[in-house]
Formats: sequence, C-alpha cells, structure tokens
Amino acid sequence: MSGWRGLVVPAGIVIAAEVAARATGLQSDSLARPSEIATAGAAALIDGTMLHATGQTLIAAFAGLAIGTSLGLAFGILLGLFRTASRLAAVSVEAFRPIPSVALIPIVLLIFGFGYRMEIAIVAFATFWPILILTRAAIAGIEPRLLEVSRALGFGLGRRVAKIVLPAALPRLFVAFRLAVGIALIVAVTVEITGNTLGLGYALMDAQQSLRPALMFALLLWVGLVGWGLNAALLWAQARLFGPAAAVEAAP
Amino acid sequence: MIWRRALWLAASVLVGLGIVLLWQLAADARLVSPVFLPGPDKAWAALERGFASGELLDKVLGTVGRMVWGWLLASLLGIGLGALIGISPAARAYLGPTLEFLRPLPASAIVPVAIAFLGLSEGMVLVVIGFGALWPMLLATVHGFAAVEPRLYEVSRALGLSRWEVIAKIALPNALPDIFAGLRLGLTVALILAVVGEMLASREGLGLWILLSARAFRAPDLFAGVILLGLIGLVSAALLSSVERYALRWRTPVH
Amino acid sequence: MTARAATAPASLAPPAAREPLIRFRAVELTLAGRRILDPISLDIGRGEFVCVVGPSGCGKTTLLRLIAGLYLPSGGQVLYDGKPVSGPRQDIAIVFQDYGKALLPWRTAAGNVSLALEAIGMPRAERPARIAALLATVGLSNHADKFPGQLSGGMQQRLQIARCLAQAPSVLLMDEPFGALDAMTRQALQDEVLALAASSGATVFFVTHDLEEAIYLGDRVVALRPNPGRVADMFDVRLSRPRDQLTTREHPDFLRLRRTLFDFIKESEA
Repeated sequence: MSGWRGLVVPAGIVIAAEVAARATGLQSDSLARPSEIATAGAAALIDGTMLHATGQTLIAAFAGLAIGTSLGLAFGILLGLFRTASRLAAVSVEAFRPIPSVALIPIVLLIFGFGYRMEIAIVAFATFWPILILTRAAIAGIEPRLLEVSRALGFGLGRRVAKIVLPAALPRLFVAFRLAVGIALIVAVTVEITGNTLGLGYALMDAQQSLRPALMFALLLWVGLVGWGLNAALLWAQARLFGPAAAVEAAP
Repeated sequence: MIWRRALWLAASVLVGLGIVLLWQLAADARLVSPVFLPGPDKAWAALERGFASGELLDKVLGTVGRMVWGWLLASLLGIGLGALIGISPAARAYLGPTLEFLRPLPASAIVPVAIAFLGLSEGMVLVVIGFGALWPMLLATVHGFAAVEPRLYEVSRALGLSRWEVIAKIALPNALPDIFAGLRLGLTVALILAVVGEMLASREGLGLWILLSARAFRAPDLFAGVILLGLIGLVSAALLSSVERYALRWRTPVH
Repeated sequence: MTARAATAPASLAPPAAREPLIRFRAVELTLAGRRILDPISLDIGRGEFVCVVGPSGCGKTTLLRLIAGLYLPSGGQVLYDGKPVSGPRQDIAIVFQDYGKALLPWRTAAGNVSLALEAIGMPRAERPARIAALLATVGLSNHADKFPGQLSGGMQQRLQIARCLAQAPSVLLMDEPFGALDAMTRQALQDEVLALAASSGATVFFVTHDLEEAIYLGDRVVALRPNPGRVADMFDVRLSRPRDQLTTREHPDFLRLRRTLFDFIKESEA
C-alpha cells in the first residue's frame, strides 16, 4: 500500500495554513491557526463538552434510525413480497418520497417543540424512504427459485420471511442500512444547525456565533471524523459478515 | 401490455387519492388538532390563495433558482475536477483518501463556516448548496473515470487514438452512468440545502415561507409550502431521469 | 467445383517462398519476474495466414500482443517491415475474443466503426459511406443503428471485425475470435474471414485453441509448447483454396494433419 501519499495533501494544507497564519499575524473572527484548532479541539475533548454533544447527536440519530429502519423494513418487505401491493402503492411512494426531510422541521416543531423528539422524528422520516426503497428492491431481487422452495416446504408467511427472505436479502439490506446510518447522521446535524439546541450541530453554530473559530473548525473536523469512523466501522462489519463479495452497489 | 400498465397506474392513483381522503376525514373528525394538521381542502385553498396573490410563485422561483444554480455550479466543478482526478492514478493516490474522509461529512456542517466568512447572505447559501452537491458528483465522476474496462484502453491504443480522444470518446461516456447517479444525488442534496439555507439566512423562498408560516401558526400555508417542495423534488428528479434515460439508452437492450 | 479443387493434389506454391513481413528474432519475454517466452524465431510472410495453437499458458496470445506492440520483448527483436515494433500502429488491427468488452457499449454499430475512422482522421463527410460499406461487408447493414447490447454474440464479433477493417490494416491479429460463439456461427464467420483475407490480401495471425479451425483456415499452423512458451513445431497446410466446410474437412490431408496435431497436443500436455 502507498497510503502515505494520501497524507501528503492534508499535511501540506495544515503546514501551509500554519505558516501563512504566523507570517501574517492572523487575527480573525472566522479563521484560526491549525495549532489553535488542535488546542481548542483537545480542550473540548478533555472537558467533555465535545463528547457530550457527540452523544446527543448519536442518540437522536440512532433513535430516529431505529424507527425509520423498522418501519421502512416492514413496508419494504411487504411491497417486495407482494407485487400487487407494490404496484398499488407506487404513486403514493413516489409522491411522498421527494419531500425534503428538512421541510418537515417546522411541522414537527409545532408538534414536539425543540428537543430530542423533534430531531428523532425528522431522522426517522429521512431514513424511512431509502430503507423502504432498497428493501423492496432487495426482496424483489431474491432468486425466485428460493421462494418456490419455501412454498414447496409449506412455510407460512412468517417463516418464509424469517427463514428464506431475510437471510437471502441480508447482504443488500446491510448495504441499505449503512447508507441510512450516513443519512441519519447528516440529517441529525442538519436539524441541530437549523435550530435544535442539541448536539454537535448546535455546538458548531454556537462556536460560530460566539466568534470562536478555532473551536468551530475543531468541531467541523470532529464531525467529519465521526462520520468517517461510523462508515469505516460499518464497512468493516460488512466485509466481516458477508465477505468481500458483499461489496455490492447500493443502487436499487 | 400498455393497457395493463395504465390500469395499474390508475389503481395506484386511486390508492393515493384514498390516502388524501383519509387525511380529509381525519382532519374533519379533528382526530389531530387543526393547528398541526389542516385538511387537504384547507391546504389546497392556501395554495390557491398563495398563487393568486403571486406570493407563492415568487417563493417557488426563489428556491428553484437557488437549487438549480448551486447544483449547476457543483456539477460543472464536480465533473471537471472528478475527470482530472479520475484520469490520473497519481492524483487518485494523493487526493483519494482526503476525498474519502470528506465524503461522509454532513454538508450542512459547513454552514457555520460559510456564515463566518460570508455572513447570512445569498452567496453563503449558494456556496453551501454548491459544496454539499459537489461531493456526490465529484466522487461518482472519479469512480467512473477510474473504472474503464482495460480492454477499451487497448482498443484505443490499437486504433491509435490520441490522449484527448481517449478522454472524450472512451473515459467520459464510460463515466456517464456514474455521473448521472451523482447528478441525481446532488439534486436531492441541493434542494435540502436550499431549504436549510433559506431558513438560516432568511432568504426569500419556500424554506423561509414554511418557517414563518409555522411561527404564525398558519398550518395550511405551511402544508402548501411542504407540498410544493415535494413537487419540486418530484419534477426535478423526473426531468433528470428522462434525460438520463435518453443519454443511457444503450444500457437497456430492447430486442 | 470447389469439391474438385479440394480433392485435387496440393498444387499451390509453397508459402515459404513469400517475403517475410513480420520477423521474430530470438524474441523472449519476462513479465513481473515470470518467464513467459523462451527465445522464439519465426517469420511470417506477406499475405500469409498463420494459425497458432497450443495448450493454455503456451504464450499464443503473448505472441499476438508482441506483434501488436502491446508488449515489448525483454530480449531479441520483433521486426515489422524491417523495422522494430515500438508500439501499436494503425495498419495492424486486433480482433479480441471478448467482443463484449472491446466494443463501446454507448455507441451504435455505425458509431463503433466510425471510431476507427475518427482515429485515422477521416473527414466527417466521408465517414457515412465508408461505414455503410464496411457494415455491408460483414452483413450488418440492417443493424447500423443498434447498440452492441442489442446484438447477438456473432453480430458483435462481426462488428469488431468491421471496425478492424476500417483501419484498412495490412495485418489482422485475431485472438481466439470465435471461441465464445456457437458452432454454426463460428463456421459462417470462418468462411467470412477467409474471404476477407483473400480479397484484401492482408496478413492474418490467428490464435485459436481449436485445432480443426487452425488447419481449416491457415496456410501454416504454428504449434507452441508451454512453461515457458516456445515453438514446438510448424506444419504447412497444403489444402487448396477456396476451402469448404464439408469437403476440406473430409480431405485426407486435413485428417492426417489433424491427427498429427492432436497427438502433438496430447503429448505436450502430458
């Protein structure tokens, strides 16, 4: 592996920024020296505020994800197994799906006010649709012979889903889930930036408004790191669970 | 064949209407407070009122304009940069890991940074939309350029194609399916960020409209705005996929 | 008429009399530390139809790629028209076995042929007539506007041949071109290639694993031995032309040569 070459560009940017900032004696409300960013990040990490905010974001993201995924999975299996249901629901699904999740923020705000519940509801809506669509595709893509086998064995719907359908579709379902985790994090942070007084997104906005650019950039990098770490962990799990062959495309 | 498809479509539309009817019944029966859930009749009336006064059309144009400009900006940059990076293995080795790190970064997380530099301005909103929509495009293009069938490079050597011809005639068309996937994802991201940007920076558009409607407890106006945003998403995606179907018609064999 | 010609005693001029167009001079090849070819010397005459056979791993395709300039030798020289081969050139065309990968899926049949004309810089206005003529040559006139994905395997291979002919090549390199096709299509394409070679006067270097195909098509059959690849033997095919799928294949000379080659392959695989 020639992994070192990937570090050249980020390292170069950091060094160039540091040198430029020192040379110009940078004093700014919007920029900070890399060394200041590192110090601010370390301080926030040590005093626990960053981890606290991370915890809040992750709780909201995963709670919403849990709801969105279970509902999406249930409807996806239904529509994947029964073509009639899928055809009848087609127009409704296509009409609701394109609503941008953030457009629901004002409605949900009316109902729940600020806090976890409102954020969870938005995340649930945002993750529901991709899970539904990808599950439907994964189930519909199961080798028909397998379904004939389950019928020949005399399985009822429950056992058919549990013993044949879910295991057969599992690799593709996992890919859908990985996608949904990314969406959940993005939507959670977005809701927080748009006004919810929770988590990393709020901390970011707060750092900007209180004119602490070093902390703002430290948080931005941290958010990137969290997203990258989650994705890397899920990729690793995917390779472990299903082997390298499971690196299938997520497209329906 | 075509008749059966039409019949299924009609049945599916009926199901959709049924959902609207249930919504109406639920609203009429006051199962949910009308403060949160106005009936479809009220939402429709709000739509009519908004378009009659010309107010809603302005908001729609504002949001669509922002979304399209940001998206176009991101597309040109993303495809151009992606082509440069994708065509060169060295550039991929140096920039790939950085791009992979930035890929899962929530685009909205750069909103505070953009505000710090540009204030609550129109330019800030455009930059955020452009930045957010750039990544899917850039990464898809890099992938498309990197994944050219090696045999086709041999064919182009045997035919004596120039480097420029290889890019224009082999690599670019080969990347097209990936580029379209990126364009589609970028469009979704652009709409979301347009709404977020309008809410935060108080720019004239549907995002601000629904926020203000909610604050004033004008639920019908709020729903009218959400419906319009859904329509924008639906229509823009449909337009793009009809272009895609034409451009990629070679992918679906029709015997 | 063809039947009488085929059964008549071999009366053609021996191919060896022709002046060589391609010369391998003690050519050897090592790729990534692995010895692929031991020194090979081989002359191919102008207009000659040479078939190469041998078990897998014997370097058949490697020889073809050396002529094409896709590989450069680690030792010795490949000479084309007296000059060393330094890279691909437009008067040498290659027909790959995997036609599905070698055609541009996003271009129609006409567009794929056009690619070769664009490469030689033919003006836009002159292309349509040339494309139509080339597609007619391979019997694809009715499919000019179809994409490769809409054509059968045999048609796709015909299309690849048409694209190669668009280069107006002096040498046609064919790498197991019919290996993936069904028997009927294969025989039809064999006869078409023979006709094309005869009418264009092109030199053909034809790699195959099908011994009968090699004998049926070639003026000469080169047999290779594997690990590392080297020339084991060469056989002149003195069957009369034009050849015929029925009579040529029943000719005693054909059967005798087939027997010899079968024995040779069996022995070198053992």
